[in-house]
Amino acid sequence: MAVSVAEHGHDVGHGAHDEIIYQETRDMRLMGFVLFLFSDVVLFSSYIFAYIYLRNSIPSWPPIVDGHQLPRLDTAFAAFNSVVLFGSGVTMHWALEHWKHGNRGRFDLFMWLTIVLGLGFLGGQSYEYAHAQIGGWSGNTFGASFFTLTGMHGLHVFLGVCFLFVLWLQTKKNVYDQHHFFGLTAGTLYWHFVDVIWVVLFFLFYLW
Amino acid sequence: MATIAPGVQTGPYHAVLDHIHPEPTSFIRKYIFSIDAKVIGIQYMITGAIFFMIAGMLAEIIRTQLLSPDGAIVSPATYNSIYSMHGSAMVWFVVIPLLTGAFGNFVMPLQIGARDVAFPWLNLVAFWMFPIAGVILFSSFLIGAPDAGWTEYPPISLQGPPGTNLWCIAVFLIGVSSTMTGINFLVTIYKMRAPGMTFTRMPLFVWAQFATAPLSFIATTALGAALAALFIERVFNVPFYDPHRGGSPVLWQHMFWFYSHPAVYIMIIPGFGMISEILPTFTRKPIFGYKMIAFSSVAIALLSFSVWAHHMFTSGMVPWLQLPFMIITMVIAIPTGIKIFSWMATLWGGAINWKTPALYATGFLITFTYGGLTGFFLAAVPADYHEHGTYFVVAHFHYVLYGGSIMSLFAGLYYWWPKITGRMYNETLGQIQFWLTFIGFNGTFTPLHWLGLLGMPRRVPNYDPSWTFIFWNRFASISSYVMTLGALLLVYILIDSLRNGKKAGPNPWGARTLEWMISSPPPYYNYKKIPAVLAAPYDFGNPLPYIGLEAAPGAVEATPTSASHPVPTY
Repeated sequence: MAVSVAEHGHDVGHGAHDEIIYQETRDMRLMGFVLFLFSDVVLFSSYIFAYIYLRNSIPSWPPIVDGHQLPRLDTAFAAFNSVVLFGSGVTMHWALEHWKHGNRGRFDLFMWLTIVLGLGFLGGQSYEYAHAQIGGWSGNTFGASFFTLTGMHGLHVFLGVCFLFVLWLQTKKNVYDQHHFFGLTAGTLYWHFVDVIWVVLFFLFYLW
Repeated sequence: MATIAPGVQTGPYHAVLDHIHPEPTSFIRKYIFSIDAKVIGIQYMITGAIFFMIAGMLAEIIRTQLLSPDGAIVSPATYNSIYSMHGSAMVWFVVIPLLTGAFGNFVMPLQIGARDVAFPWLNLVAFWMFPIAGVILFSSFLIGAPDAGWTEYPPISLQGPPGTNLWCIAVFLIGVSSTMTGINFLVTIYKMRAPGMTFTRMPLFVWAQFATAPLSFIATTALGAALAALFIERVFNVPFYDPHRGGSPVLWQHMFWFYSHPAVYIMIIPGFGMISEILPTFTRKPIFGYKMIAFSSVAIALLSFSVWAHHMFTSGMVPWLQLPFMIITMVIAIPTGIKIFSWMATLWGGAINWKTPALYATGFLITFTYGGLTGFFLAAVPADYHEHGTYFVVAHFHYVLYGGSIMSLFAGLYYWWPKITGRMYNETLGQIQFWLTFIGFNGTFTPLHWLGLLGMPRRVPNYDPSWTFIFWNRFASISSYVMTLGALLLVYILIDSLRNGKKAGPNPWGARTLEWMISSPPPYYNYKKIPAVLAAPYDFGNPLPYIGLEAAPGAVEATPTSASHPVPTY
């Protein structure tokens, strides 16, 4: 991912010849990136399948451990944290739109807002991990599926934050211009993808 | 857009492709860390061949152990590790990388008239994960190799030796590599075909890679998830599969087979593609039912996602689910049958030139059909109850994986060897090698059907010392030595060809796909000018459908055959 963005830096071209090469490589990279996201969807789907399977194979959920039923997760806190993540999706969208219109200042603002909100979501998740009374990662199948799935999502958010930071550094080095910004498109796609996965996870763990 | 022939327009991209990148000069960039798909294909081929020899030696240990009912060549525990490693290595480190990585990389870009794949650097990274993963896999022998079979079912795999962790890492890595290759190939085929090469003008090997690529990056991810969970459970004691802690061993089976059933089609569809290239060339006839062969690959790929639970009929699934899985499994026989009949119709009335690739392709038709039919028995729920976990299953999947995948790999190797190296192999030795393999293979695996039906369980080092069991096991073991002799002869043939083989020229078989129009071995840039394509490549008797090709000298089609001289002379 980072490699493709870095390579792309050399392609911002001058002249019709370079422009054609740029567009064609951009289209191929976009297709490759979407296929990568698709395989990532399968990764999450597999663990979601595992969660549903484990949940349905025991009579009560949350499971009963040592005669006591485990508590449900804190839905209100998670809802607040979700708003933080979805908000970052909105700011990311604005950042890209401002880039397309050439407003570098606004782009910087919203890019940083996205990064800060992403980190905020991770902070909220750490708080939640510290206070969840469901027996830890290795205690029972509830903890196993919850911490694995949300942890993997959190890892994706963390990698996304790193990705966005690298993209921001690249904009400072003028890797992209107003018409050649494939890396920013890929970053935005990835960030929205992480948002959408969270919608599914929120429903599965907090509302179901 | 420029019109270069009636109905053929060059895209904007091709118009600017006159520029050819210079070939790297340093040894490392040219042969070790090359981004040229042809070099990467050869690297896959060499690495896969090494793993094939190691995994083959493991197979011979198994067969030698089974020479006598109380065989003591290895201890029962070691025996468990050996068959587990044999299966894992053959599936993930031989068949899949050779069919997609090796032949896909070498042949597919040439056949679509491209200079390279879409993401050459990704290709380089994907290749290097393969030998690294292989070394990790085999180093598990040092600390106790996995012993729960190549399927590594929990809870046995949860209690397995420490090498099982290395097994998880190795298979995960090769899975990531396979995912990268799948994405790379799909984008390459979708975006980089030569002008005029519409989907229905693509060579059938390209169609096969096109149908396989999505399987690689969709199904393999599910395997990665299952492996990561197994690793986490073994290392961090997190309950997914352990039934004592609320987990479910059947969950692993679902996730594993959701990958591994599509994976058997990753292991055979490219082989189908090779057979579809070889048969028209050696019969001098257009392929019968081009579109049906092409679309049936896609149909198989789609159906393969909804049949995984036929591996689990005896794992305690609900009875009403068994019926749909049984029916969909049997439905897959329809597109497969369409292919078989199309190939038979291609052979029918053709001027068959019995060179080694043609022998292998025809041998493939026989053994693969046989393996497909026993698959039908296993798909039927009542019959499966009897056959599950016996040598009948072993015989079935060796008929489709050795008789199907490996035979098509041999066919493809003999067919494209002159293109890859520029040299011919010794035809007489090639034909002897075919008969050794064919006879040895059938002698090894046909008796296993009968042993399975008699109730001999797989994965057990000893067996009932009755006359029938001893006789057929010895028969199988001795035949397997014949098969191994064939594999060793192949090594000799290839080395002999490199040292003494006569120059092949661009098109020794008189084939019509694009790769045969340029010199052998192809130059670094593949095509000096990207050609335009006017028709599908199999219309023997018509002029070649390519325009703007700077053909290598001598790269013309062999004289079309006539009724009085049915066998072409070349």
